[in-house]
Parts: sequence; structure tokens; C-alpha cells
Amino acid sequence: MTVDLVWTPFKTLLRREIARFMKVAAQTVVTPFINASLYLLIFGVSLGQKIEIGNGLPYLAFLIPGLVMMGCLNNAFQNTSSSIIASKFGGDLEDLKAAPIRSWQILAALGIGALVRGLMVAAVTWSAGAVAYYAQFGQWLGFHNLGIVLLFLVLGGLIFANIGISVGFWARNFDQLSAVGGFILLPLIYLGGVFFSTDQLPEFWRNVAMGNPLLYMINGLRFGAIGVSDVDWLTALAVSILALAATFGLAMLSLKKGSFHRW
Amino acid sequence: MSLSPLQVTNLVKHYGPVRALNGVSFSVQPGEVFGLLGPNGAGKTSLISIVTTLEKATGGQVHVFGEPLGKESAVAKCKIGWVPQEIINHGYFSTKEILEFHAGYYGVAQADVAIEELLRRLDLWEHKDKKVRQLSGGMKRRLMIAKALVHRPQLLLLDEPTAGVDVELRLKLWQFVKDLRQQGLSILLTTHYLEEAEHLCDRVAIIHKGELRAIDRTEDLIQKWSRKRVQLHLNRDVVLKHADLMSGEGRCWTFMTSQNKPLGALLSELQIEVNDIVDVQMTDGSLEDVFVHFTQKGAL
Repeated sequence: MTVDLVWTPFKTLLRREIARFMKVAAQTVVTPFINASLYLLIFGVSLGQKIEIGNGLPYLAFLIPGLVMMGCLNNAFQNTSSSIIASKFGGDLEDLKAAPIRSWQILAALGIGALVRGLMVAAVTWSAGAVAYYAQFGQWLGFHNLGIVLLFLVLGGLIFANIGISVGFWARNFDQLSAVGGFILLPLIYLGGVFFSTDQLPEFWRNVAMGNPLLYMINGLRFGAIGVSDVDWLTALAVSILALAATFGLAMLSLKKGSFHRW
Repeated sequence: MSLSPLQVTNLVKHYGPVRALNGVSFSVQPGEVFGLLGPNGAGKTSLISIVTTLEKATGGQVHVFGEPLGKESAVAKCKIGWVPQEIINHGYFSTKEILEFHAGYYGVAQADVAIEELLRRLDLWEHKDKKVRQLSGGMKRRLMIAKALVHRPQLLLLDEPTAGVDVELRLKLWQFVKDLRQQGLSILLTTHYLEEAEHLCDRVAIIHKGELRAIDRTEDLIQKWSRKRVQLHLNRDVVLKHADLMSGEGRCWTFMTSQNKPLGALLSELQIEVNDIVDVQMTDGSLEDVFVHFTQKGAL
């Protein structure tokens, strides 16, 4: 029996994380697709025709990158947090503690697993958006710079995966998990420029919005997608990298100090 | 000299003001079944939690095959298999997938052969595609044992492995534990069933209120700390006086005497002739007597 304590535990946990959400793909991939389609239909196709964003682009083109990032962030967060919470509930989180898996292996496997789900949701959301755009304007929505799009999706997905890990270890019940998701993260996402440009806000609120780190991730991706952004994309990149470093530290701390005990 | 599979030295665990373990030391010898006994709250689960690194010790040391155990001591952890007291529910995954993942956590990428062998041995092969919630209580318990063994550990921690299982399964699991010992596995067993410990354990340690109260070979503990019950039925009414006398009058008398004392010696001290005896019933002492001796209120 060959034993490899470097890659095999990491690859196994990653495989488990991906298998976990794929077993309930209707809930983890199809539902976000339906949600995104509804947003596109209501805000993009219907109300969007009456909304001016002032840069010559249709509102639908502005909305699609925001929805793509929102789907990626939400699902990355939900994947790690629900994986940890479910494992606390079932008791198998104790297996990870007793096994010879190192903290970096757990963080990397959970993070990449969540990123895979986030990217899948991002892809189906973009596909739905592209179809809606084609139906309305008779042409496909291309990428301004696909590399920048992927860069911000990876950064955003990993940041929210780290937040999910931290909350998963910190939460003592499902209510606490819901509270963080519903009262903190969701408002930050919605107010991070998914549906609107900060140029349309009064100056005070524009300054408030600039304090929201999610604004930079969403606008970074929007720049890569359509070449339009409320902030300089390099500034957005710097803020996102800082956020990744901070959330990685937080996740590592949660892993070291948090409880692996079953509920 | 072979290294001790588990060496616990002066282990201390405090939960706030509560002292769950207070300087416990013992070692498990290679190839033995070592029983850790104690009433609820004695510190058994705290000790197992420290050995599995779920809890951090307040003081003291744990060595597994000579290696100090810590959070990141991967090589030492590889040598341990752990059967927790409570069933773990793995949600969406099948029995076979659970074992594949568990083997992978311990660095074993290809475990198909070991998984099939274990599942067949534990009568679970036909249920390899079922999820935990679809298994019966006994099957779940066997799955926990399969999980603990899938990476071929050298030290097995069995935390109340037969809690809540029926008699038939309990006997099967006992036989399984004996087979594992024959294969050279060292086993630390905690149990509430003293009969189980007496039946399986080569040596036993009794802990109470976080302290080690007794440790010895099982039969030696019974020999030393329990007393045998002797009931005499005589053919005539007598009046007897003796230090070992428990109860009796007329023709029927009961004594609790040392395990080592021959019946002839007792009869001689009582000045009873063999011809006076209609019947004698003798019941050997048990581990339960020893357990009660060391854990009853005010003991030691």
C-alpha cells in the first residue's frame, strides 16, 4: 500500500468537495442558473430598456458581468460554509482533524472546490446572459479581455471561499451562518455595483460605495468583460489581492482555532 | 525492543475549572487489547480526543510508536485508526465512496483491494452503494470499523464500539477484535460493558475522576481485587461465625472470600466436615467487582 501524504489527501478532499456539490447539481448549479435568468429577464430585458447608464452600452451588457460575479461569489461562499457546517452536523469534520491532513491541504482543497462551483455558476450565468443579449440585440456579447475576466473570477471565488471557511468554523448553528450570509454578504454584493454604476449615485453614497471591497471585484470583472468600470482595473486588482491575503489569513486562523467537533 | 504503540505520560486536561484528566500515565503494549474503563465523566473520552488530536492536552505527552503526537504529526496519525463512539453520517456518499475518501485522507490513493476485503469481511459488500442513512444500526457500526481500518493502522482506538448493538452483533464484533489482535494490531478499547472488557482485554486500566486508579493484567486485577462467593447448603442447622461471612442461618450460609483461598481452607476454618455438606455453589469474582471497588463513592 503506497502512502503519499502530500498530494493524495489534498486531491481526495478536493474530489470529495466537487463530488459533494455535483451530487446535488440541481440545487447548486441549476438553481443559480434559473435565478440569473430571472434577473436578466426582469432587470435586463424588461426594465433595462428604460435604464440609461451613460456610457453608450445597453444596460443588459452592464448587468451580465455583475450577475456573473454575484453568482460566483455567492456559490463559492455557500460551498465552503455549507460543506463545513454539514460536516459538523454529520460528524465527519472530526475525521479531517484526526487524519494526517495539514491545514494548507484543507484550505486549498476547500478553496479550489468552491472555486470550481463558482466558475461553473459563472459560466452558466454568462451563457444565459449571452443568449438574452443575442435575443435582444441580434449579436453575441464578446469579452473585452477574457484573461482579466478569469483573473477576477478566480480572485473573487477564492476570497469568498475563504470567507465561507471562516464563517463555517466560527458558526455554532445554522442561524449564525444565515445571518452572515443574509445580513452582511448579500447587502455588500448587491451594493457592490451589480445592478448600477456608482456614477449614478450622489457623491456621498458614491464615497460610501467605494469603501465596499466587492465593488472592486465586480468592476474588475466588468472591465474584463465589456471594457467599462467605475474604478481603475489595476486598483481593483490590488484591492482584490489584498482581500485574498486577508481572507486567507482569516481562514487559516479559523482552521487553527475553530472547532472540528460535531454538533 | 519494540516501541510502545501508545505511551501516555502525565496527561492533564482541564476544561475551565473542571479537571477531566489529572496526570494519567500508561502505555499500550504491542499486540495487546488494552481496556480503558471508568464511569461516565471519568475522562475516557477526553483521553481519546487528545490521542485523536481533537482536543489539545493541558499538560503531559502522548507518543505513538515513539513519535510525539501533535496537530500536524502526520506520520504518527497514519498509524492510528479510530472508531468514534457516535455514528458519523456522510450525507450524500455511498459506503464505498466513504472508504475511498477516508483512505485518501491517509495518503492511500489506491485502496480498492483493501476496501473490498474489509467490506466482505464485515458483511457490507452487498451494501457498498448504500448511503449511511440506508444502513441498519449494526451496519453503520461495522462501517465505522471499516473506515478505521482502511488505511491499515497499527493502533486501533475503539471508543465504545458495541454501544447500542444487539447481542449477536456484539459477539461478532468481539470475534473481529480478537482476529485483529491475532494479526498483530494493538487496540485501545473503552467500554461500559465490563463483561466485554473482561472477555477481550489483556490489560485494563480503571480511571475515575480523571485519575488512574488501577492498571494490571485483567485476570490479575480480578484475582487481586475481587472476592468469590461461596454458598454452603448443609444437612443440619448450625451457627457459624467467620470474617468472610456475608449472610446465613440454619442450613444455608453465604461467604465472600479471597479468590486465592481454597474451599478446603474455608471449610477447615469453619470446622465443617465434607459429610455435613449437601451442596456448594461458588461464583468467581468479576471485573465488575474490581470496577465497583475502584469507582464507588469514597473509593481510594
